[in-house]
Amino acid sequence: MRAVTSPAARGASVALRGVSKTYATGLQALAPTDLALAAGEFVTIVGPSGCGKSTLLRILAGLVEPSSGTVDRPGATATGFVFQEAALLPWRTVLRNAELLMELEGYRGPDCTARAREALQLVGLAGFEASYPHQLSGGMRMRLSLARALALRPALLLLDEPLAAVDELTREVLQEELSALWQQSGFTGAMVTHNVHEAAFLSTRIVVMSARPGRIVEVVDVPFAFPRAPELRATPEFAELTGRVTAALRRKAVAEATA
Amino acid sequence: MSTSTPSSRLRDSALAALPVLAVALLGIAAWWLLSATVYAGKGYLLPGPQEVGAAVAENAGTLLLATLATLKEATLGYLLAIVCGIALAAVLSQSRLLERSIYPYAVLLQTVPVVAIAPLIVLWFGYNELSVVIISFIMSLFPIVNNTLLGLRSTSRTLVELFALHSKSRVTTFWKLRLPSALPSIMAGLRISAGLSVIGAIVGEFIIGSGNAQGGLGVQIVFAQGRMYTALLFAEVIAATLLGFLFFLVVSAIGRRLLQHWHESEA
Repeated sequence: MRAVTSPAARGASVALRGVSKTYATGLQALAPTDLALAAGEFVTIVGPSGCGKSTLLRILAGLVEPSSGTVDRPGATATGFVFQEAALLPWRTVLRNAELLMELEGYRGPDCTARAREALQLVGLAGFEASYPHQLSGGMRMRLSLARALALRPALLLLDEPLAAVDELTREVLQEELSALWQQSGFTGAMVTHNVHEAAFLSTRIVVMSARPGRIVEVVDVPFAFPRAPELRATPEFAELTGRVTAALRRKAVAEATA
Repeated sequence: MSTSTPSSRLRDSALAALPVLAVALLGIAAWWLLSATVYAGKGYLLPGPQEVGAAVAENAGTLLLATLATLKEATLGYLLAIVCGIALAAVLSQSRLLERSIYPYAVLLQTVPVVAIAPLIVLWFGYNELSVVIISFIMSLFPIVNNTLLGLRSTSRTLVELFALHSKSRVTTFWKLRLPSALPSIMAGLRISAGLSVIGAIVGEFIIGSGNAQGGLGVQIVFAQGRMYTALLFAEVIAATLLGFLFFLVVSAIGRRLLQHWHESEA
């Protein structure tokens, strides 16, 4: 039984059926794709640049309309999106930044503030409510960005390479925190990353994509039990799995390079 | 975070002001030397600092009233330019078509020499303060429109996406994202226009000058020129410069206060 912060925080199931995206320029970013996320699952999407993984994530968010196919997903109020940049409002305090999305969704009042404080507590930013973004470190800004999404108590949390810009050590710590948050909150997670180790550490399944046109070439199950200890990264099983994902990525890259 | 105390900060800024003050002292010394040697006895060409000081003392009341009159006109023109400039830029930023059809005229307005249209303004609105305010307004409008538009157009794309995800309202996105994001640009425009509004007011006064004995610095400059009272002319030029500088300092201070959380930010 997972601890949930509220009934609304339980994960949503998501399904893409025959979803493709061709931009007005004629560029096919995503070939017809099927992907189903079970409630409460954490899936990572890896692939080379231009393989449509960002497009896939934005279709999941409802930010991009697919050219074909159907999407079953929760509404915007229940969807959190975390970008590669922290994308904070520099003129707002930490607390007011954490309240932003609830405010945009039309929620008001002391309940919002309470939820923002709770989200800040979850990411370890309690005590920084009155600070401004420029006073925070890169890792703390990313935590705030995460708290802003979590304050919505999302059923679906989408993450677009959120840890790509932080240093290696901070990244590993944030991976562990993110994993703990996911287990605690129970949202369904989908995260785009370039980093195979990050994918293996965080997810229940890894979706491997290839470019031109973007499509899913392999889905790798990650068998490790939760909670995952930092030491997992040093085990032979972990190395074997990341090796397998890397090989799948390389096969496509080599095939394309020699084609 | 800096750990400096207020008194040490004061000492630091006093030290930082030293080179500027040194240049000012050197300049005054050179001025005095020149007026006492090459231009000795030709005070109508280059009066010395002491003659200008005497002219200030003699005409203190007139100078003060003239400076206040110019300050009032420039402030009114400037405030009008802020309101209209930001509003115009906000409207233009809402549609590419609007921007393409109206913005070129804003550029055109900027390239028309103010000295050339000032007589027209006076012809239409009369030999009065209103004309001066309008000329000051025209002079300060363009940098505000231009910079505000630039700021409104350069909102972070990521934040626009985030707002698109959670808000359908363009009005909300404008007030909570685009306008505050544009604030550093808007302040840059306001700083440029601060000095221009004073210049505009003085140009306006120049044009209406002949018809008015009491009035702003521009009027007094024309008056002093007619009397060949060069020392007073110097005093008026200095007063006009200080007024523009004061405007700039006040606006800069307000900008620093408003933007104190922007620095080191990623926006």
